Amino acid sequence: MAVAGAEQVARWEEHLDRAVVEVFSIMVGVSCAPTEPSPAEQTETVSAVVGLAGALSGALVLRAGLKVAERMAERMAGMPAEPVLVHDAAGEVCNMVAGAWKALDAKLSGGCLLSTPTVVAGDRYELFGERAPLRIERTYCFEEQMFSLTLFCDPPF
Amino acid sequence: MAGTAVLIIDDSSVMRKIVERALRQAGLNLTRVREAGSGAEGLAVLGQERVDLIVSDINMPVMDGLEFVRQVQRQSLAPGVPVVMITTEGGEEHVRQALEAGAQGYIRKPFTPDQVRDRVLPLLVPG
Repeated sequence: MAVAGAEQVARWEEHLDRAVVEVFSIMVGVSCAPTEPSPAEQTETVSAVVGLAGALSGALVLRAGLKVAERMAERMAGMPAEPVLVHDAAGEVCNMVAGAWKALDAKLSGGCLLSTPTVVAGDRYELFGERAPLRIERTYCFEEQMFSLTLFCDPPF
Repeated sequence: MAGTAVLIIDDSSVMRKIVERALRQAGLNLTRVREAGSGAEGLAVLGQERVDLIVSDINMPVMDGLEFVRQVQRQSLAPGVPVVMITTEGGEEHVRQALEAGAQGYIRKPFTPDQVRDRVLPLLVPG
């Protein structure tokens, strides 16, 4: 990858971290920070996908264990989470992070559109877009709960 | 401030709860809260009852928030009732589209209760 591309990827990683911190601080009501990935302990997972189109073509995917997604939803809603609330919360967090992330980049802010979130429960699926050439994966932790965000896209550089 | 009846439209159930909580934290005395999961459901609610405030997401399946606002204007379903759009899309073009469609206010997600108060309260007529 060219130097310009590597710098862009580093910027997008930093923007992703800032977007997650902002969304969790304001909308989930907890602090959240990047952390090192660790082997998944929960087999039951919730995944949320938000598509990107326009200046950038790809998707942002949030993956969390069911218990982690439940904690996220409880924090957001301020009440015990029913399944529909858990799925909606995962989708909404992914959506807000995608929006906050692209808002940090002048070219993407107005030139990249977001799809409505799609949520998948379970882990027996494959996202074909994940074969995209550029893949940025980050792991985050709030209240000892870990989840990952993966941005994959066709690089515009 | 007198009681306020609000219609909250968002395809995400968790966002509807967050918006309701933010409105209460902003100081609104919500006497009636109606929820809808799409613009089409929102139109159905307005066909049956009057509200004092409408808060709507933009990016929704079935009927998005912009089309919802256009329909509300076209059908005169809520004359004089302020509509505030909430969305992750914060670009100037999106704000312009929302205001042109007939919205009076615009809030970008994520939002704080202070931002909700600053954008919503000035739109409500006292009493």
